[in-house]
Amino acid sequence: MVTGYFRRAYSSFAAHVLDIPPRLLALLLFALLLSFPIVNPPRSILLILTTANLLAIFATSWDLLVGRTGQISLGHALFFGIGTYTTGLLFSHLNWPIWVTVPLSVLVGFLAALLIGFPCLRVKGHYLALVTMAFPIILIGLILYFKNITGGDAGIWNLPRLFPFLPYEQQYIAEYYLTLLLLFASGIILYKIANSKTGIVMVSILDDELASKASGINITKYKLMAFAISGLFASLAGSVNAHLLTLRVANIASLRLDLSFLVIVWTIFGGLGTIYGPIVGVYILQILDQYVLTKIVDVPAPWHYIIYSIIIIVFVIKWPRGLARFVTDKQEDLEEARDIDERGPKIWKRYKKKEKK
Amino acid sequence: MHLLEVENLTKRFGGLKAVSNVSFHIDEGEIVGIIGPNGAGKTTLFHLISGFLKPDSGTMKFRGENITGLAPHKIANKGIARTFQVVRPFRHLPVIANVMVALKSPRGAKKIEWIKTFERKAIDMLENVGLTELMLEPAENVGHGDLKRLEMARALALEPDLLMLDEPFGGLNPLETDFLTKSIQRIHLDHPSRGIVIVEHKLYALMKIVKRVIVLHEGEKIAEGKPEEISKNKRVIEVYMGKAM
Repeated sequence: MVTGYFRRAYSSFAAHVLDIPPRLLALLLFALLLSFPIVNPPRSILLILTTANLLAIFATSWDLLVGRTGQISLGHALFFGIGTYTTGLLFSHLNWPIWVTVPLSVLVGFLAALLIGFPCLRVKGHYLALVTMAFPIILIGLILYFKNITGGDAGIWNLPRLFPFLPYEQQYIAEYYLTLLLLFASGIILYKIANSKTGIVMVSILDDELASKASGINITKYKLMAFAISGLFASLAGSVNAHLLTLRVANIASLRLDLSFLVIVWTIFGGLGTIYGPIVGVYILQILDQYVLTKIVDVPAPWHYIIYSIIIIVFVIKWPRGLARFVTDKQEDLEEARDIDERGPKIWKRYKKKEKK
Repeated sequence: MHLLEVENLTKRFGGLKAVSNVSFHIDEGEIVGIIGPNGAGKTTLFHLISGFLKPDSGTMKFRGENITGLAPHKIANKGIARTFQVVRPFRHLPVIANVMVALKSPRGAKKIEWIKTFERKAIDMLENVGLTELMLEPAENVGHGDLKRLEMARALALEPDLLMLDEPFGGLNPLETDFLTKSIQRIHLDHPSRGIVIVEHKLYALMKIVKRVIVLHEGEKIAEGKPEEISKNKRVIEVYMGKAM
């Protein structure tokens, strides 16, 4: 009986939700998120979503580099951390205002990605993954060594707020809106890049470097470009994250290895190479991790991660192409079904198309 | 001045001489075939000319300019385009986007006539080889014969001065072979100054197109001349059929 209920729920979902064109669907979801503070949600959820917005920017930037260009980075937290530390250091030593330090740290992230890109892109595949993994570890070592500049283990505390002029309660909502708009803007920019002519060349590098070279493409240039764009958006997420209301700290947690690995989980869960997939992945998994498994069903610590992992594994096995791709695939199926009166094999479809011509 | 001039080209893999002391030249508007049994060094020669391998010794000149040891994409941008023996499409991209990659390269972008858009040019390139129907199909769904033609369209998008085809007829059925032969002949007529080099096993199809044949055997050039002469050449027959008892 339960399965019957689910099946009916799914078929009505397929008939009503999946029928909406993808662009409209994305806009609707954005409008939903935009109007979310109206229902006066508890502060904890708003905080989770604010962080999720920034992590989604971070995951999308990873997706452009790995899902589209095929340059595997296992140390993407490096750029997140560079963003965090640049804004932190500029504040603590020079006391510069926030609207200078955040853009500057984005610039530093961009330049750092270019600089690191040069040695990294001499190696390929697994070796590239290993080399990129080393960089955040090196940076953590440097930060711990130069204690008097970076604050060492404790980090830099009490960074300025994003909206100090607002009353305390409204700051949460303002931060939520700011990060949501940043996510929307960077999501659109990254999606446009990924689907531009440059994006086509990036996919050609993912598919076949040799053939790309033979077509006259300077692949180093494009790889560096992907690296730099990716570093730029990752450090944007990192620098804004350091100013969020609750913690406002730049410490080595922003460089930690599990952030580099979580981004892989989010992206593959949502759909590698889609750009919008990671956003879906971050939202669902962050809410699952931070809200459902902590606030609603409060499971003890070891079980928390066991349940969390099992859910991810089940989803990835069931939908290996990602949750977002599952929706778009279904939409294509529906279109196909509409194309042909009766659903038939693909050959049928091609045959029909030729007939129309 | 020759279009391409290769002098004493040598490439070793360990103790094996894949190409040894090969010299030849290709003129503008010429169609040249390179033949030889398996392992003769034909593909290695292609890799050397297009920059994927660096020669141990010898020089290559393209329009009088030394191109020995240049990076592959630089050589492609000078105007030497090639296809691969085993097809190498960009599988995630639609057929038309495969061609667009080449149009995005500096030379490809420069050669788009002012009256055309980027997309129009890409479609024209597919029209050259008769692939417009499959334009939007992802390359991973396209059959082998069509991919062979797609490779050629991608190479043509660079508007090369020298087109190098590595076994264009490999794995094609007689009908497709015939179609491709006609495509090559039409490309030759459209751009009379373009040089074309073809490496091939299927001698029957090849001999109909080419004006001159170079024969390689164990890395060395053993004969060169018109197709009729080559097919009577004793040494060539010996290499292909074995010695008379």
